[in-house]
Amino acid sequence: MSTLLSVNNVSKQFEVNGRTVQAIDAVSFAVEKGECLAIVGESGSGKSTIANIILGIYAATSGSLTFNGSELPAKRSKEYRRAIQLVQQNPLSSLNPRRSIGASLRLALDVHDIGEKAGRAKRTGELLEDVGLPADFRRRSPSSLSGGQRQRVAIARALACQSELVVLDEPTSALDVLVQARVLKLLKELKDSRGLTYVFITHDLSVVRNIADRVAVFERGKLVELGQTSAIFTNPQNPYTRRLIGAVPVVSREEAALRDRLMEQESGNA
Amino acid sequence: MSAPTLKIDDLKLSFKTWSGTAQVLHGISLHIKKGERVALVGESGSGKSVTARIVLGMLQQLKSARIAGSVEFEGVNLETLKPASRHALRGTRMSMIFQDPTSSLNPVYPIFAQFKEVLERAQPGITNEKAREKAISALADVAINEPDRVLDSYAFQLSGGMNQRVMIAMALANNPALLLADEPGTALDVTVQAQTLKLMSELVKKHHTSVLFISHNLGVVREFADRVYVIYKGNIVEQGPTERLFDDPKHPYTRALLSAVPRITGGGIPDLDDDPGRFTAPLVAHEGYSERELLA
Ligand SMILES: Nc1ncnc2c1ncn2[C@@H]1O[C@H](COP(=O)(O)OP(=O)(O)OP(=O)(O)O)[C@@H](O)[C@H]1O
Ligand SMILES: Nc1ncnc2c1ncn2[C@@H]1O[C@H](COP(=O)(O)OP(=O)(O)OP(=O)(O)O)[C@@H](O)[C@H]1O
Ligand SMILES: [Mg+2]
Ligand SMILES: [Mg+2]
Repeated sequence: MSTLLSVNNVSKQFEVNGRTVQAIDAVSFAVEKGECLAIVGESGSGKSTIANIILGIYAATSGSLTFNGSELPAKRSKEYRRAIQLVQQNPLSSLNPRRSIGASLRLALDVHDIGEKAGRAKRTGELLEDVGLPADFRRRSPSSLSGGQRQRVAIARALACQSELVVLDEPTSALDVLVQARVLKLLKELKDSRGLTYVFITHDLSVVRNIADRVAVFERGKLVELGQTSAIFTNPQNPYTRRLIGAVPVVSREEAALRDRLMEQESGNA
Repeated sequence: MSAPTLKIDDLKLSFKTWSGTAQVLHGISLHIKKGERVALVGESGSGKSVTARIVLGMLQQLKSARIAGSVEFEGVNLETLKPASRHALRGTRMSMIFQDPTSSLNPVYPIFAQFKEVLERAQPGITNEKAREKAISALADVAINEPDRVLDSYAFQLSGGMNQRVMIAMALANNPALLLADEPGTALDVTVQAQTLKLMSELVKKHHTSVLFISHNLGVVREFADRVYVIYKGNIVEQGPTERLFDDPKHPYTRALLSAVPRITGGGIPDLDDDPGRFTAPLVAHEGYSERELLA
């Protein structure tokens, strides 16, 4: 396997009303080609900030990023803007309210010149159907969609661009588990067929357990643990990771047993 | 016996669209008694958020929306209220945690100005100092470490989960009789989520608040709710007490839903059982838990 993205000693500070917020604190990790790397952690620990830095929306205060071996510039060329896509945590603000869903998808295809012009209108319908929405949602406006419907439009748009890396920030938080399963299967299919790479940010550890190859755990702007998914869940090394897994609400008895075992270890260590 | 806090009867909703009329709610009935925690779970796009918005009176202004059926709050049909009295309930006696917190907060005012406005609805003329003090302690309750920084920030300067907690704190600030919580935990890590659920539970106990809890997270629903309604394409398809519904789901849609929950013990993404033909089967109420029996 080769490295697609590497994040090297990246920090990010924000200044707000004279206060300094250390959103990211000297973080380094690599994303391998074709893997799904999950990022989990505290609310406010810098997950969306690192996503925005990978996309070039925010500039890092210090540190660097490389993509396919070359340093990522602060101002991204069109090539990079196609190669790296983002599904934002808040899908409503990422869709232009005055544009129909179809027009938003079409714009993505036009900007990056994806596929034959004549086939693009049809393609927007297929993209919607792939995420479980009817093709005639093309005519709808973002404000007339439910939370989960908007989220799926944002996913469809990111997948339309034939990118190499897709950063997904809480992409399934507004989906029922059946639709979620469908979307996750679609992501897996694209990973297998196109070798697509994902950075998957989520609070849903049960999803992470079932789709991620590796997991990175963030706490207060720092990367506190990184490892293979199975190792993170059966033998977490960091106390914060153990606390997280120990607090997952579950629906079955076997799951509760795993959770209780980790909680015991945690209190044994304390 | 006192009237239930919320009683929705045969609620129908349709939207006029370019291609004709789209029926969204096909006549749903549900109620929440005083101090009860009731969950509404189901398909994305099935009508959960619009139901909450109708209760709050927010969909009525939309020209394209057609609404029929009745919504009663503490025994009063909301349609009989004057717009001003109805408006006065919002943010005081009933409040809502919106699904999309970052875009529900006003982007052009800092958080404190919005928080103060909420407090003013119940306490007109509250001073800046008093409002700030209250806001700080409310934010501390939802595990915000730097309440001062948060109050002086704009929504875009906060993380998704911080905005969600601001929204939760504002919704709880005036001790509402009815809390409409639409996906309140989606941007929270599980430890913070557990803390906010505990806070909501305490509020329920202390002030006998009634909660409509909308969530796709079935694990959380199982821990939090007393009763559950399952909705599929604008129809309630199953209702019952939480434990029985989880242990013995009866409707094909509920069964499919529960079997699709990813497990923390692994095993991959479950194979789909989504044969919509079976999901349209009629409503199943667990014994003793139909609307008729519960409201008798
Ligand atoms: N534009 C900004 N200006 C100022 N501060 C910011 C800005 N963006 C993020 N922050 C701060 O940086 C920190 C990290 O925020 P971030 O959105 O990355 O968290 P997160 O891990 O995505 O959290 P969540 O799980 O709640 O979405 C927070 O304290 C936040 O307030
Ligand atoms: N203004 C509108 N015009 C037309 N259709 C609308 C409008 N608002 C909502 N709808 C439709 O009504 C249905 C119910 O929407 P609602 O937001 O209640 O879904 P939901 O159950 O909350 O879904 P989710 O779990 O995805 O948030 C959806 O199919 C949506 O597309
Ligand atoms: Mg975030
Ligand atoms: Mg909704």
